[in-house]
Amino acid sequence: MTPRSHILTPFTDRLDHLRQTVLEMAELTKRNLKNSIRGLYEHDDDYCNNAIADDEEIDLLEMQIDREGLHIMSRFQPVASDLRDVISSMKIGANIERIADQTVSIARRARKMNAHPEVKELHELDKIIALAIKMFDDAIQAYLNHDEKAALEVKIQDKELDLLNKNFNKHLILRMQDDSEQIPTYLNLILISRCLERIGDHSANIAEDVVFAVSAEDIRHLGKTAS
Amino acid sequence: MPNSFSPSDPHQATSSSATLVPLEPSFIEVKEFDFFYGKKQALFDINLEIPDRQVTAFIGPSGCGKSTLLRNFNRMNELIPNVSHAGDITIHGTSIFDPSVEIIALRRRIGMVFQKSNPFPMSLYENVVYPLRITGQRQRAVLDETVERSLKAVVLWDEVKDRLHESALGLSGGQLQRLCIARAIASQPEILLMDEPCSALDPIATAKIEELIVELKKDFTIVIVTHSMHQASRISDLTAFFYLGKLIEFDQTNKIFTAPIQKQTEDYITGRFG
Repeated sequence: MTPRSHILTPFTDRLDHLRQTVLEMAELTKRNLKNSIRGLYEHDDDYCNNAIADDEEIDLLEMQIDREGLHIMSRFQPVASDLRDVISSMKIGANIERIADQTVSIARRARKMNAHPEVKELHELDKIIALAIKMFDDAIQAYLNHDEKAALEVKIQDKELDLLNKNFNKHLILRMQDDSEQIPTYLNLILISRCLERIGDHSANIAEDVVFAVSAEDIRHLGKTAS
Repeated sequence: MPNSFSPSDPHQATSSSATLVPLEPSFIEVKEFDFFYGKKQALFDINLEIPDRQVTAFIGPSGCGKSTLLRNFNRMNELIPNVSHAGDITIHGTSIFDPSVEIIALRRRIGMVFQKSNPFPMSLYENVVYPLRITGQRQRAVLDETVERSLKAVVLWDEVKDRLHESALGLSGGQLQRLCIARAIASQPEILLMDEPCSALDPIATAKIEELIVELKKDFTIVIVTHSMHQASRISDLTAFFYLGKLIEFDQTNKIFTAPIQKQTEDYITGRFG
């Protein structure tokens, strides 16, 4: 549900622009993630290099989001859902930037792997990649649509991604024992899987920020015992 | 310990003590309260509990009834012809409408500060001691001490101590409003009502009054009507939002300004009210 416009039009315009910048940043990050995966699967360093080079633009957008958020807070002093929206947008910007950093790590690992013949275990990453991209997509859609329910679904998917990553690691460690020549390649695959798992974590963080923006509920660290 | 507004109450009958600390903080309870200007109903079934020694802010658009409710606490609305009410307002559990309650005594327990400062055309000193003078207080030492303590409480003493017997009308807007607050607390009220006390002041004078309000809540129960939501969020502990004569939401200020429950509250404080 999209909130109604403010009486003060510049306030609405600024909030809309902030959200647009977050969505633009998410779109670029998704493109970089897909480029890095394509570079890995197609053994094409150009895709990897593009993903690495374009990260700078994402870093600049993160800073732009913070500037816009601060501008809104200092000029319009937002409260209630507007305040939550600004704070969440700034936090989501930071999480997208971390996803972009993981994307760069994947691209760098992919370049290293491209120098060697492909191993069949590469395709065991398929499910992990698909789920990580889906979680990121779903989290951003939840942000776009102010959709608390969709955001909560992302949190559930995170557990599934953790499990897939864990099983992949176990399997590759066993493979290392059988085929020690491929240890460097298997290690790169484990680290790429770890990056994807981190992308899932950051997507879950984005989902938490969406829930806070929509319903003012802080669902972080639920279920953990307070020390 | 006073728990009624009887004129024979020793706490009310004299102002011999110069301390500004009330004997006991008040607790205001509004119960199923309706209020009418002639046939026009201005307040509808208001239920509200205002705690001791906290700042409670009333917010809402013009005509929502917030000032009307505030003016009922000291029965000021009764100065207007053809008003009537139903329901009750109690302080310390005693109805302010009880026939035994003497209005002058009630108002002595409830100081009030208005939107526009209203100094009397007399000296600073006489402005402050006016509430004591009308009760017959003539002891110079008591009056002197009251002036000093009241003006110190509103952080005006250092600025005016050398010209106490000059006309109050020479003060700046912010100083005049602080003088009026000093006068309002001179008679040791338990409750301080403020009806948009900063709306005519510049930001620096406003900041001084706001700081003063936060300081004064240690000794007084404060209810403030304000059109500035940022002022309400800065200085109040609790906020009540009124709309069209109804109390829409009443909660901790932090909650109201971060996650209000009612959509009308959300729309008003975020500026989406059409």
